[in-house]
Amino acid sequence: MKLLIAEDTRDLNRAISVLLEREQYAVDSAYDGQEALDFIKNESYDGIILDIMMPRVDGLSVLRELRARHILTPVLLLTAKTEVEDRVAGLDAGADDYLPKPFAMKELLARVRAMTRRSAEYSGGELRFGDVSLHPDTFAMTSSNSVRLSIREFELMQALMTNADRSLSTEYLLEHIWKGEPDAQADTVWLYICYLKGKLRSVGSPVSISGGRGGQFQLVMEM
Amino acid sequence: MNAIGIYGNRLPEMERVLETLCTRIGESRARMKAQTGMDPVEHVLARIKSEESMREKCRRKGLPETAQSALEVIHDALGIRVVCAFLDDVYALRNDLARMSDVEIINEKDYIRRAKPNGYRSYHMILRFQGYFAEIQLRTISMDTWAALEHHMKYKKSLGGSAALIEQELKRCADELASTDVTMQTIRNMIFEEGGEAQ
Repeated sequence: MKLLIAEDTRDLNRAISVLLEREQYAVDSAYDGQEALDFIKNESYDGIILDIMMPRVDGLSVLRELRARHILTPVLLLTAKTEVEDRVAGLDAGADDYLPKPFAMKELLARVRAMTRRSAEYSGGELRFGDVSLHPDTFAMTSSNSVRLSIREFELMQALMTNADRSLSTEYLLEHIWKGEPDAQADTVWLYICYLKGKLRSVGSPVSISGGRGGQFQLVMEM
Repeated sequence: MNAIGIYGNRLPEMERVLETLCTRIGESRARMKAQTGMDPVEHVLARIKSEESMREKCRRKGLPETAQSALEVIHDALGIRVVCAFLDDVYALRNDLARMSDVEIINEKDYIRRAKPNGYRSYHMILRFQGYFAEIQLRTISMDTWAALEHHMKYKKSLGGSAALIEQELKRCADELASTDVTMQTIRNMIFEEGGEAQ
């Protein structure tokens, strides 16, 4: 795992780097925002620790530029204890977490672990339900056969698999999978549910989806 | 090659049986079309296995090159391939054939539900009809297109290092086509208001 730490206080930067390296992370150190951007241009990181108050380019500007360039690397902000406005601005600008100074090193390590774990989950290990697996790198859905899903079908199946313990309403799916597209309606959701039901059958799985047109949907094992 | 050929004097009868079987499929097709308003069949191919491939198959299986081997031990001297437009048509036609009182099903393999590892999909039936074995392959148009391409791949030896890549890509195509077959079937069901669920 490769991390970038951008912190202008040299001693603190050094202390954090040593600590992270001891935990087997590979670490690059930047001492201001511009240097951080230069590192990010040339490297890809699993996580970035950004101090807000830095010379040349401040942490929030680095964060905004990152997100504007669609770099989704998780970011942990280091903030002064009183900077409530900065924390809010940071989270709104796309930070994943923040840690007020002064902090315990133990807590920093725990937050870095949480942050990188989350991104590992996002970027998609394979998902499983019953005998069905869903592969995010190929969009393949596999049981005794495999089929390739379309992007929409994949996202819908992913939502059903990650929420296997509860049912998802048509409204929830329209909002989260179709992101409120004006042409999408309850029938659209139902059609895609039907596609998935057909494709689950075609891969030879006993897994199906409960629920009817306009209703609540959940993965089920068919007897 | 023997002057008489491996099938001996059975050939005219084989041709007649193959034709009768095709007529039966044609009747099935007409019946289903009358019921649903849609022709379930895109096209039908029928063939008697060539002298050369039958002899090759006998040798491969260590059998004497006789009419008995070709017609009693080997079951695909008569072959019919039925290419359907939609997935459900494949199964509807299969069921119609199975219902015929003078058709005996010897063996069936559903390579649609259980595709071969390379991605091949089709429904295979071995029938006994009027004293002859026949192999029926039922598949959709996209499965047929895929099989045509895969067939060329198998006989092309000059692929070298890219063979593994092509196999992997063909498998991916097969899985995409299978997915599209289900999608089209679901849309057809929705058009005909059967609730959208493919069978």
